[in-house]
Amino acid sequence: MKSSKNVFILTEAVLAVMVIITAIAMLWGKDGEGRGKVSVIVQNSDDNRWAAFKYGLRMAAQDEEIELFVVSTGGALTTEEETEIVEHEIANGANAVILQPVPGDESEEMLKKLGKKIPVLLIEYPTAGEGRLSDIPIVQPDNYALGQELAKELLNDYNGNVKGKTLGIVSEYGNSEAVAERRKGAVSILKDKGVKVVWEVSEPSKDEEETVLEKKSRVDFVIALDDYSLVLAGKAVTANNLHGALVYGIGNSMEAVYCLDTDSVQCLLVPDDFDMGYQSLVGAAESFGYIFGKPENQTVSFTVMRRENLFSKENQEILFTMSQ
Amino acid sequence: MQKGKAAVKYKYMVQKFLDYFKNIKPRGMQSTIMLVFSAISVAVMMILGVMMYLRVSAASREEMIGSTEKLMEQTGENMEDYLVSMRQISDAVYYNVIKENDFSDQDNDIQQGMKRVYEANRSNLRSIAIYNNYGSLMGAEPVVLQKEDPNVTKQDWYKQAKAETENMHFSTPHIQNLFDDAFRYYWVISLSRVVELTDNGVPQTGVLLVDMDYSSISRMMKQINAKTSGQYYYLCDGSGEIIYHTKQMQINKGICSENSKKAATYKDGVYDEFSGGEHRKVIVNTISYTGWKLVGVIPNSVFTHGMFDIRYFIVLLILLMAMMLGVVNRVVSVRIASPILKLNDSVLEYEAGKKPEIYIGGSMEIRHLGDSIQRSYEQIDMLMHKIVLEQTERRKSELDALQSQINPHFLYNALDSITWMVEGERNDEAVFMISQLAKLFRISLSKGRTVIAVSDELQHAQSYMNIQKVRYKNSFSFVMDVEPAVYSCCTVKLILQPILENAINYGVGGMDEDDGGEIKITGREQNGKMILSVMDNGLGMSEEEVAFLLTDNNRIRKHGSGVGLVNVNNRIQLLFGKEYGISVESEPDEGTVVSVCLPAVPYTEENRKMLEAGLPFGEKILSDIEKRV
Repeated sequence: MKSSKNVFILTEAVLAVMVIITAIAMLWGKDGEGRGKVSVIVQNSDDNRWAAFKYGLRMAAQDEEIELFVVSTGGALTTEEETEIVEHEIANGANAVILQPVPGDESEEMLKKLGKKIPVLLIEYPTAGEGRLSDIPIVQPDNYALGQELAKELLNDYNGNVKGKTLGIVSEYGNSEAVAERRKGAVSILKDKGVKVVWEVSEPSKDEEETVLEKKSRVDFVIALDDYSLVLAGKAVTANNLHGALVYGIGNSMEAVYCLDTDSVQCLLVPDDFDMGYQSLVGAAESFGYIFGKPENQTVSFTVMRRENLFSKENQEILFTMSQ
Repeated sequence: MQKGKAAVKYKYMVQKFLDYFKNIKPRGMQSTIMLVFSAISVAVMMILGVMMYLRVSAASREEMIGSTEKLMEQTGENMEDYLVSMRQISDAVYYNVIKENDFSDQDNDIQQGMKRVYEANRSNLRSIAIYNNYGSLMGAEPVVLQKEDPNVTKQDWYKQAKAETENMHFSTPHIQNLFDDAFRYYWVISLSRVVELTDNGVPQTGVLLVDMDYSSISRMMKQINAKTSGQYYYLCDGSGEIIYHTKQMQINKGICSENSKKAATYKDGVYDEFSGGEHRKVIVNTISYTGWKLVGVIPNSVFTHGMFDIRYFIVLLILLMAMMLGVVNRVVSVRIASPILKLNDSVLEYEAGKKPEIYIGGSMEIRHLGDSIQRSYEQIDMLMHKIVLEQTERRKSELDALQSQINPHFLYNALDSITWMVEGERNDEAVFMISQLAKLFRISLSKGRTVIAVSDELQHAQSYMNIQKVRYKNSFSFVMDVEPAVYSCCTVKLILQPILENAINYGVGGMDEDDGGEIKITGREQNGKMILSVMDNGLGMSEEEVAFLLTDNNRIRKHGSGVGLVNVNNRIQLLFGKEYGISVESEPDEGTVVSVCLPAVPYTEENRKMLEAGLPFGEKILSDIEKRV
């Protein structure tokens, strides 16, 4: 009799616990539709060159149901500013951060510290120190291959006969690891073919950006290693300030495309920023366990655009991402 | 070998499973009722829950599909209106502007006309342009710088118009590659058609291009895709080329896929599809004239996600009902089982030796049961009491009978007689006396048995009478006339001795030798009964005295051991029943006959034991004898 009573009480207790669990699950299911939050911190985030990247981020966020927050950074950041933003994002409930490290020696140290507080995913290597940050996943194009491909396109236009030709190199951040890799890749091929690097321009100030290239000596080719410098060079060509130099470059904005469309640029290499944005967000979601998987280093592809094939079906898909 | 092992293992598992059920001990009544009620309740609740879920789920699906169809119908109509308006623009430019004017007119009527149409519809239009057969721009609105060599004749919209000159052609979205708008590129859907134009009075064909702003279409599509529940809508052309899709880039990149090619072949309606590892409902609505398909996709996960709350609600409802039914079942089972359990408890207490009141309560049946049990127990108690009394009486009678044998007076007289014989050197007689005394006591004891053979009882009577005859100096004679068959029957021991003692004391004891006093024992068997009679020709008794002999056990006797005929009668009846016993017939001055009636039970060890165990055990033997008779 007593045993039966105990079984009854136990059964009722178990049912009561199940009721509570179900009710909590029901309420949690409603509230828990809020998802993980990923913050994205890149230099000059409002710039057009991030359009495809941000579109990729948005699409991934929509697919994976993640709250995405792209921090608006008016211009170039310092390491301290970037650290401060990350700290602020952590305080605001970010579960992971996608970061473009500030070029400079301090970024590696900063990333080591941040990596202990929050999962970090990079879209560019920090300026090379002694060793790479092996434990932080990176999604980026193969910058060395980009540089090499740029050089190959240049050589193709001249059937490899470029011996004695002169070259100018333009970049936004000379101390950026990505730029350094691209430069290394391009120069490694061009130097072998006898091209002489006459000058290099990096980090031009706002005041001098319109005249910096004009002041340089005449060269046969100008290689622009990033979107900013490509548009700068394109504009210089349009303004006939580049002394007839042919521009080859890497870019990812509609301005860069326009430069190609108007023949100011001979060849444009476009990294697949949509894919970079998409994969980096998926990697970030994986890094804090929102979706199953382990974030790994990923290399995104790039496309070679020429004026002739600029509006091909395949390229229009890329332009679509850049115009979002 | 492996197969054999598996078979053995399987057999072992089955056996273990069966053993488990065999070893299930019977549960209490309340537990069983509770268990059965609960099992039925749970089964009913589960069935109800599942049915409710399926019904609600089906209704929800139907509603979702219905609302999707309505939404798509509305959007399709809006889109058709939009496309019709574009066609009307194209018609207006063609029939009202181009056909009516010559491009060489100085008044620039064509440009003015195009401008009017453009201004009236600029919110949805990107541009209107007319190209001649060579792809040269004849006119455009708004007026902007044409790109250097846009290679118009190679563009799809131009080729399509030229391929089918009688139709209007809607392109898929593309970047407008015609005009230079300084860093700006526009996504447009081109409506192109071949037109007849007049230039310098020369009629020729050209292509009229109306570029619609893609954002108008995408805005409509974005509006219906605003919900993020997993349900989505896309637009494709008649060949399955996607015009708008929320995951257009993911599809282009191969991150996900869409069955747009297949959907383009569907007629309007609802279809089941399996795509991307998931079943889904596909609703197709065709946009008239263009052949575009507006497709709504509802993955099955959307239905189930929509049912998320319902599922939890039903589970919650089932759990609450289970809790409530648990309580109800408990109350009902307690109400049903409680009287039975109380009755059972009182019976258990009774069995444990206590004397509780048997519980009488609950329903009519249980009350009746309790009442019956109580009456049974009362009867058992009464019978037990009776048995105990009878046993006590029997022991007392036997003790009395035994005591009669060691009656000091009898023993003193016997020993005095022996002493007297020894003194008179009548050794043979003394020896005879002693041997008779020994036999008397041997049979009296009879190893503690109550039932002995008639032969032993007669021997005992003989020994007693031999001793008494010496004491009474042979003043009476003693004879036995017993049928041989009677010797081997059973009898209660020491029943003749008290009768003989009475016969001597009250009959022939006071007679002289010359009076010819005689005591005779006869033994007969008739009708399964054995009659042992002790007859004397002594003083006899009146009827009143005879009546007293068998009823008054407390009267004080003048002679003898004091063990009356009542005692003998009781002992016989205790063992053999009321129909057996002693009967006395006497006539004053004539003599007395005391007859002992016993069943003629053959003396065997088995019969003896059964008879000694008491009436209930001996009944079988007695009934056998009765049947035999």
